[in-house]
Amino acid sequence: MAAISARERVQRWAWGSERLREALVGYAFILVPMGVFLVFFIFPIGYAVYISRYEWGIFGKIDYVGWGNYRTLFHDEIFWRAVKNTAMFAVAVVALEVTLGLALAVVVNQTLRFRTFYRAGFYFPSIASSAAITAIFIYILSANGLLNSFLGLFGYHTSRPWFYDSSTALWSIVGLNGWATSGTIMLFYLAALQSISVEVYEAAAIDGARAWRTFWKVTFPLLRPAHFFVLVVAVIGALQIFDQAFIVAGADGGPNYSTMTVVLYLYNKAIASVQFGYAAAVGVVLFVGIFVITGVQRLLFGRPDVA
Amino acid sequence: MARRKFVVSLAALCLALAIAALAGLGTGAGKAAARGKQLSGTVTLFGWTTGTTEDNLLREVIKGFQKKYPKIKVDYTAFGGDYDQTMLAKFSARQPPDLFYVNGHVFPVWVPQGVLASLTPYIKKFHFSPKPFYPRLLNGFKYKGKQYGFPKDWSPLAMYVNTDMLAKAGAKVPTTWTQLRSTAQKLKNSNAVPGGTPICLSDDWARLFAFVYQNGYNGRIMSSRSMSTAAVRSAATFYTGLWKSGLAKRPPDIGASWNGEGFAQGKCAIAFEGSWMLPTVKQATNIHYRVAPLPKNKTRGNLAFSVSYSMAKDAKHKLLGWTLLTYLTGKVGMRRWVSLTGGLPSRSDVKPKAGSAVFANAASYSHVWQGGSKFNDVITVANNELSAVAEGKTSVNSMLSKIKTAAKDAGQ
Repeated sequence: MAAISARERVQRWAWGSERLREALVGYAFILVPMGVFLVFFIFPIGYAVYISRYEWGIFGKIDYVGWGNYRTLFHDEIFWRAVKNTAMFAVAVVALEVTLGLALAVVVNQTLRFRTFYRAGFYFPSIASSAAITAIFIYILSANGLLNSFLGLFGYHTSRPWFYDSSTALWSIVGLNGWATSGTIMLFYLAALQSISVEVYEAAAIDGARAWRTFWKVTFPLLRPAHFFVLVVAVIGALQIFDQAFIVAGADGGPNYSTMTVVLYLYNKAIASVQFGYAAAVGVVLFVGIFVITGVQRLLFGRPDVA
Repeated sequence: MARRKFVVSLAALCLALAIAALAGLGTGAGKAAARGKQLSGTVTLFGWTTGTTEDNLLREVIKGFQKKYPKIKVDYTAFGGDYDQTMLAKFSARQPPDLFYVNGHVFPVWVPQGVLASLTPYIKKFHFSPKPFYPRLLNGFKYKGKQYGFPKDWSPLAMYVNTDMLAKAGAKVPTTWTQLRSTAQKLKNSNAVPGGTPICLSDDWARLFAFVYQNGYNGRIMSSRSMSTAAVRSAATFYTGLWKSGLAKRPPDIGASWNGEGFAQGKCAIAFEGSWMLPTVKQATNIHYRVAPLPKNKTRGNLAFSVSYSMAKDAKHKLLGWTLLTYLTGKVGMRRWVSLTGGLPSRSDVKPKAGSAVFANAASYSHVWQGGSKFNDVITVANNELSAVAEGKTSVNSMLSKIKTAAKDAGQ
């Protein structure tokens, strides 16, 4: 390839050149979204870091504490309990929702009767109000709720309040959240499944591959870009779990800290204790955690566009 | 001549102004009321509600205010949830309502932040007497010697007993801890609460600490020092022992969201709650019940739960807010509120509604459920530890030790 001289480079970007015009149009298109992104995403992150270095009240700064909030945070037993709960929740819920979402996507990608109905039905929990769904689940999982009555039919008689027993509370939220979000995952996988060429399946069929083998040897590897995207989205969502834990147990994260998640703890500190600086430190640590985990995922699964 | 006329006129004007000023000071509250009648505008009022009934009842009281002050319009907003979150956003945006509820245990968290307006200058200026208010309730809304709120009403805890279940078990209404245990045992042995439990008992220190006061403790709520006392240790042991011995269960363990629901559904025969439980029980027409004082141990002791009407430092219409506050917490407004809701008056010159003597009598020995500015930090630890004890996952001593550390860290 011939080297481009400095003169040619200048000419390409000369005022009025097509290349420059094209670039300017491009930048004009992204100006508004980037502006929104900067104002509502980047600025708050920077501001959260700033706030986290202060004892911060309702009307702003009270006292400069430097890294004091972080030092306290790293010795805060409840925070570490919240980190542990959030990590356990994320691992379990991502596994559940990805498995369920992929299975549903494969099912509704087949030629079925009432396929549109199933697609809409499976997707419905994702667009329904999280608060409403959680409220219904509180009844279903209560001591004398539907689940215990159902289990009783199989001889397992229990009056366990699933959301209010510290050994089952978090896992109950995993089940609820996994079911509720699997519709969105299904949608992502469905889009990816529909982009796989029919010819690939025909070739597999000619080679004598059966359905199960075709799925593992053809479909699953070809979904790799979708896997990366789904995992990143699912992990970030899981690490930010708040609403269902809050509705189930309130800001205390009980019983016995079993539903205390990092964002719930942030809420507890910010709203109930009015310690905005400390809460901001919790938020910054969570941000760094999510950033690192997403980076690791990228290293493990590669670029999203690599099939 | 003209100069002399001017001087005389000026002197007459000064005299008239002086007389008017003196008259203003002399008539005090009456003058303030008269001034209120002349005031006009819209005053914003924020509160929370547990249902439309309570919401409508406050609107009824407000109607009385508007009859008295026709030129003042009250814009009342009631929240079903997220009240604190909304208020914090309003405070920080410097757009708070003129008058609003402040929960007793939230007051020490908000007041050092400088969001509340001191009412002391208004009390002095308009001669609004705080004397009729119960001092303990009034002090709950005092900070550094200044008044920041007036209690709208209050409630202590009481013992609700299902009389049918007690009769079935051949038991009497317990008056002491020993009797409480024996009554619960009788209820259990006779299976008087089929599918339920003798006592509904929350894993909540806002219930347990009433037992601490009954046990002779007389200090500050949830302080680090209190956690080392024998009174707290034995009260906690007694309270949690009711779960261990199977005489009590937490509401979720019997499929209820709170004690009132469990009691109203006939899933327990005894529950400890405040007067706010009455509407729930009254709706359960098949439940025959009695409200009795909390069983005592060494002495009588109880907790007082109160909510104030307070004004914001950044309120736009402070005078209108003050006028509404003095009506709602005044004799007339409070009498109306109490007659409609059955809540307990926070003023000694307003009689409680007939039938609420059990609650009213606890005024002299009740302690306002309130801590310091980091009270929530302590309560988060305390209630989680209590639930761990209820589930048998930790001991009373370990719980008290952790609460002590949390209270120490919170400066309590």
